[in-house]
Amino acid sequence: MTVACAAPSLAERVLEHARLRPTAPALIWRGRAVEYAELANLVLDARRRLQSLDGRGPIGLLARKSPEAIALILACLLARRPVFVPSPDLAADVLRRLFARAGCSHILTPGEPAAAASAFEAAAVRRLGQDDGADIALMLTTSGSTGDPKIVPLAPGALDRFTAWAGDHFSITQQTTVLSYAPLNFDLCVLDIWTTLSHGGTVALVEHERATDARHMLELLAAAQVEVVQGVPMLFRLLSDAASKDERRVDSVRHVLVTGDSIAPSALATLAVLFPRARFHNVYGCTETNDSFVSEIDLRAVAARGEIPIGEPLPGVSALIVAAAGDVVDGPGEGELWVATPFQTTGYADPSLDAGKFAPHPQVPDGRTYFRTGDTVRRHEDGSVTLCGRNDSLVKVRGVRVSTQAVEQAMLEHEAVVEVAVLAIPDALAGSRLHAVVRRAEANHLDSMVLRRHCAGRLDRAAVPSKIEIVTHPLPKTPTGKVDRRRSIPNTQRRSAP
Amino acid sequence: MIDHTPAIKQFIVEEFMPDVPVEQLDSDYDLLDGAVIDSLGLLQVIAWIEETFDLALNDAEIGPDDFRSVQAMQAFIAQSKN
Repeated sequence: MTVACAAPSLAERVLEHARLRPTAPALIWRGRAVEYAELANLVLDARRRLQSLDGRGPIGLLARKSPEAIALILACLLARRPVFVPSPDLAADVLRRLFARAGCSHILTPGEPAAAASAFEAAAVRRLGQDDGADIALMLTTSGSTGDPKIVPLAPGALDRFTAWAGDHFSITQQTTVLSYAPLNFDLCVLDIWTTLSHGGTVALVEHERATDARHMLELLAAAQVEVVQGVPMLFRLLSDAASKDERRVDSVRHVLVTGDSIAPSALATLAVLFPRARFHNVYGCTETNDSFVSEIDLRAVAARGEIPIGEPLPGVSALIVAAAGDVVDGPGEGELWVATPFQTTGYADPSLDAGKFAPHPQVPDGRTYFRTGDTVRRHEDGSVTLCGRNDSLVKVRGVRVSTQAVEQAMLEHEAVVEVAVLAIPDALAGSRLHAVVRRAEANHLDSMVLRRHCAGRLDRAAVPSKIEIVTHPLPKTPTGKVDRRRSIPNTQRRSAP
Repeated sequence: MIDHTPAIKQFIVEEFMPDVPVEQLDSDYDLLDGAVIDSLGLLQVIAWIEETFDLALNDAEIGPDDFRSVQAMQAFIAQSKN
């Protein structure tokens, strides 16, 4: 028997690229190329910073996307210290709880002394013991607001298997430039940033501040000769709107990956004009499992059919459609999608949250753990599978999974709020927009400015409703006495004039 | 320098919080931290400024801080007009 040499880790591969091709561009940031050698130096600086910290526990990173933040994550991977990357947009008290739950011993912000985050450190309780962290590389969160986001730890092996698959499937090599649009805490970065760097390619980073500046992004795509673009429908909508004004084309793009919500077939047709040489892929996945389905989109078939199938399971992925009664649907039919992938987490950082989300095969245990996606899918006669919808209180607003129930709960925490109804209105640009109707106490003069400030301290920005209407009359009720959301917000639900 | 503050306040209130009396919005109120304007709202504000003040902002270096408050918008418009 031979002893296998451990394959180099992601961070080790990045340093190896720096040694072999020091002047190759690793990142494009604010109009400038950051070469692999420069990135490696940032990583080594960050590693020195880590070495000066006591303990071996997980590191929390509170940062927007930047070369320094990327280097800090790589340094953590190199030092085999788990790194937790939450959204910096989360409310301060939520961040404090999450850092504590992740067991972070230190919270770092690139370029700033650790003191900037010291307020969080006091709350950090080491839930993961010193040794427990050994099998965790990266901790992300679910992008939601069903209570606090859940922390999803990913093992080094899960990351390596995904970067290997994605690099191969989308031909990401040393010559490839990939756009990075999603924030650093999104699972999309495992492809955009980590797969690309692991293969020695170039990542063109979109700054947080310019994420809605479509002209800037079109210029970046052209200037950096970007070949792979992954994004949510909102990104593509922004790009197509801006490009159609001056009939712009981006010829360099070979692969367009659509993720998040399903994209409208009409939006796809516009994209085909913007990216005339690209192949289009519908990618389905979630933070817990990473990508599980991918399908190359046949534009003509989509135009005829009006919907896009979620495609075929990736190699090594096992997918089941489970009916309400717990039976696996083998033929045509509808049910919840369960998936097991080679890239998945072993469970949430807080194991008490696993119940009902991770389960063995419901009929014939096959040794794998399945993740229950909460998405209802339908298998058609021809074997193709399409998405029917999510659990109805969960919606996506600008790529962030938001629970309308959690938004209502946060509003009800204001003393002057008596009743509230929050409804998601489909929106071409944002996916969904939230509309809230709030009944305030008669004697109180609560207005939407005050309520927005209240929400800002409790919710992700995307979860603060774009429209807040304050009333004093009672809201309509269902027969069981609950607020009837649809009747509370009637006008927006009408698709056509009666 | 023309004071556009009343017009800006009028727009912000009508567009994002129609139930709030205009006089209640202070010029230095942080509209971003207060979750009055989000990233899509920012696009609306930029489009309104372009149209109302006849400015083409495409090439200008603009950032969220230019629209953080009514005061900041007033300063931004005055500066862009020059």
